[in-house]
Amino acid sequence: MLFQTTQDHEALRAKLRAFAEREIKPVAFTLDQGNQFPDEAVKKLGEMGLMGIPYPAEYGGAGLDMLSYAIAVEELARVDAGAGVILSAHVSLGSWPIFAYGTQEQKRKYLVPLARGEKIGAFGLTEPNAGSDAGGTETTAVDRGDHYVLNGGKIFITNAPKADTYVVFAVTTPDIGTRGISAFIVEKGWKGFEFGDHYDKMGIRSSTTAELIFNDVKVPKENLLGREGDGFKIAMATLDGGRIGIAAQALGIAQGAYESAVEYAKERVQFGKPIGFQQAISFKLADMATKLRCARLLVYSAADLKERHEPYGMESAMAKQYASDIALEVTNDALQIYGGTGYLKGMDVERMYRDAKITTIYEGTNEIQRVVIASHILGKAPKSEGGSSSRPKKPAPVTGVRKKILFKGDAQESVDALVQALKKDGYDFTVGIPADTPIPQAERVVSAGKGIGPQKNMKLIEALAHAAGAAIGSSRPVAETLKYVSLDRYVGMSGQKFTGNLYIACGISGATQHLKGIKDASTIVAINKNGNAPIFKNCDYGIVGDVNEVLPLLAEALGTGKKQSAPPMVKMKRPQPPRAEPIGPRYICGGCGYEYIPELGDEDAEIAPGTLFEKLPEDWVCPECAEGKHQFIRA
Amino acid sequence: MYCVREVTKDLYWVGANDHRTTLFENIHPIPRGVSYNAYLLLDEQSVLFDTVDWSACRQLLENLEHLLGERALDCLVINHMEPDHGASIEELLRRYPNLKLIATEKAFMLMRQFGFHVDGHELVEVKEGDTCTFGGHTVTFIAAPMVHWPEAMLTFDRANGALFSADAFGSFIALDGKLFNDEVAFDRDWLDEARRYFTNIVGKYGPHVQKLLGKAAGILDQIKFVCPLHGPVWRSDLGYLIDKYDKWSRYAPEEQGVMIAYASMYGNTEAAAQALAARLCEKGCTKVAVYDVSNTHVSYLISEAFKYSHIVLASVTYNLGIYPVMHNFLADMKALNLQNRTFALVENGSWACKSGDLMQKFIDEEMKNMTVLNERLSMASSLHADKAVELDTLADAIMDSMRT
Repeated sequence: MLFQTTQDHEALRAKLRAFAEREIKPVAFTLDQGNQFPDEAVKKLGEMGLMGIPYPAEYGGAGLDMLSYAIAVEELARVDAGAGVILSAHVSLGSWPIFAYGTQEQKRKYLVPLARGEKIGAFGLTEPNAGSDAGGTETTAVDRGDHYVLNGGKIFITNAPKADTYVVFAVTTPDIGTRGISAFIVEKGWKGFEFGDHYDKMGIRSSTTAELIFNDVKVPKENLLGREGDGFKIAMATLDGGRIGIAAQALGIAQGAYESAVEYAKERVQFGKPIGFQQAISFKLADMATKLRCARLLVYSAADLKERHEPYGMESAMAKQYASDIALEVTNDALQIYGGTGYLKGMDVERMYRDAKITTIYEGTNEIQRVVIASHILGKAPKSEGGSSSRPKKPAPVTGVRKKILFKGDAQESVDALVQALKKDGYDFTVGIPADTPIPQAERVVSAGKGIGPQKNMKLIEALAHAAGAAIGSSRPVAETLKYVSLDRYVGMSGQKFTGNLYIACGISGATQHLKGIKDASTIVAINKNGNAPIFKNCDYGIVGDVNEVLPLLAEALGTGKKQSAPPMVKMKRPQPPRAEPIGPRYICGGCGYEYIPELGDEDAEIAPGTLFEKLPEDWVCPECAEGKHQFIRA
Repeated sequence: MYCVREVTKDLYWVGANDHRTTLFENIHPIPRGVSYNAYLLLDEQSVLFDTVDWSACRQLLENLEHLLGERALDCLVINHMEPDHGASIEELLRRYPNLKLIATEKAFMLMRQFGFHVDGHELVEVKEGDTCTFGGHTVTFIAAPMVHWPEAMLTFDRANGALFSADAFGSFIALDGKLFNDEVAFDRDWLDEARRYFTNIVGKYGPHVQKLLGKAAGILDQIKFVCPLHGPVWRSDLGYLIDKYDKWSRYAPEEQGVMIAYASMYGNTEAAAQALAARLCEKGCTKVAVYDVSNTHVSYLISEAFKYSHIVLASVTYNLGIYPVMHNFLADMKALNLQNRTFALVENGSWACKSGDLMQKFIDEEMKNMTVLNERLSMASSLHADKAVELDTLADAIMDSMRT
């Protein structure tokens, strides 16, 4: 046993390397700077039959093994990490679930064009409240007979919006945790399926990453992947394999940085000889090479196990965790060897240094990889407490209790109804505060989100702010990326907190960090064209509509004339937050007064939290005085 | 000198009054004293229901000797083994070697634990529904676990309608010659102390009291006398008493009104509390009671907290925490299981105001079914005129919540 790749593997590597050096390397810096997707290169990869490496020829694949696939990702990432992840997300995440769980019909319809590289695939699992913990999934799919209706959203989705085919996870049975999640194949272009932010990332900038938004998207019954409730299982199995792709990507990034550093160390002369021959640098290179070899053996071995249908979950986690950890170390050392030169834009090690970081984060953070590995060593923890996977929960809106009165339909009628409601709540629109009142001191704020569109539309915000007697605020991207307003005007957990009375959010979708910044507002008004935007679950009044239409109407209705100077703010009343409903009655011991609380259970007697009193074993006794169950009375 | 009173034919109060003990259970002040009630039934057999605190033993013995004359004491029924009633058992056992003891299994266990030499005497262990005949009188035993000890029981005599109710329906205040509820102005002179007794001693065990009230309801028409171990014997107006007990044990307020408890170091928080009290009265709520937690014993605070529907806690921040005495009041409310109240918070801090958040957290997380109004009044060191609007808003919020 030589732990070596075959000649075929090395031939494939040579082919990929030549392609990457020729087609991608010359533009890698441009793609990075411009946040551009390498459309040309991806198209050519498809033509070369490399977008479906591990899938059988009958489904349009190359019929090669997992190791070949890992080598392909590695070689692309060696030149451009973004290209590596495009392939990895397409093959491992977008295509594999269909290959493994799809019906013949689904494979023919979706896998074949994916494997041929005619279509690009992506995988939609992550949500704002469901990252490492899929049990927090909030996207829903409601059974409507011959189709499901999909509502919700996904964030951080690799290959979106370029991808054509999406495997999306949604809750079909609420309140039973991960067992209620199902997987669906969703096509780009379906009504109600839109894309949100294209993220401005630190690295892997040639890959595209965006938000998925589902607004009453009709998904035909035949696009359910596997059975209802299989979603979590499918997601976990997919990620087991996906880790090999990311491990290969991390390995490739590190390999690229290492080779670049070796070359530079041989060229750069200081103190009369190439720095590579200074011990400080030579030892670095030795360590880098050793780490690379370790990582490569881990990655290839995991791929080989998967190919041979041996258990590989732990090994792929080890490979992903180790390869990405050392990718950070190796790229860091490479940049260090370059010295000041490596710190400049345009140097490949500078890009690789940034690119490497994502590999310890996505497709399971390295902390989660260690959880996976430890669970293989130790088995399941003896008692499970908390955790959304094991217990259902109903998350409260970030902004607490809100009226959530939505006005739909005719814009003028909606605006009139809103103004009437606000006046009834006691808002006086004959008075106002200056538009530049600092957010924390403002009684009212009109805020702009990215949905406001081009900068000229800020005129609408200014007019509305005047009419509402409010100061002007914004979401973070509007201040930070678009620079429509100064940085001290963006509202959110990391920005300014609004604690006044009236907050009017225009074109703001309602990211959690933004919502946390307005949770003390007495009244939240949302105006957004996406009826499923989180802001509507967090508002008192909402108008679903286009800001271009609604804002001028609203300004007109509130009064565009001169405003009197507002008196000192009187904070308006907020409703009480609801109490958590008990899961069952408490019982009190007649021997000592001990109270059995089902939410807590009885740890010492190995009674899990959440156990109802009726469900306690017959021989359970009071933990304080040892009286039997019959001595308890209901509280 | 003996001091006895007839309850009804053949049944006598043979207890004692105590004005020398300053702290009941060595914790609750009793400025108006307390009585330890014991009752003697002279049937074919002589039967004593419970004994008295050790400090009153001599009085009990004199009372028994007076009524028994040449007779021996035949039976002793122990409804409750807490030493303010059970401490004299040992002395009776010595004086009456043939004394038969009737009690629950747990009461006998406690007697042995407290060091009473019961073995060698005839011991009759009874449980719920058991009966015992002494001649013309047959009594039935009613288990009353956790009202407020696990061994407690009640004894009901069908012949004369006397319910020996142990600590249930008891009260602080010495009887001082009076015996019956109709011999005192209970609602005027006794209710506050009866509530303070119940809430501090039995308050935690509301569900068990409710269970007991359910049992009592079945024999209510037969009850002629309620004979508790402290305070007056009830022979009229039982509905009044049961209504109070029902409210207290359901943790339902007696009054729509506001208790304001403040913790103030230099009078600034106190001033805010007073200003709030005045605002509330102006707005029409005059059922307002204001207490300084630092010089009001917590047992009074607890009693008032059970009485009123609304509680305002006004506290300074002390060592980045809740003022210790206020914290103790909160801990005691939790320990006594107080529920279903609406709280409003006033917080003060001169450099890092924490007390409001901490009190809110305690109420939200440690107590049951409480509502904390959003309108919290915060002040830095003292309440300035610019906070008048907030003070008003807080008062309005309290008034509003009383209406809904």
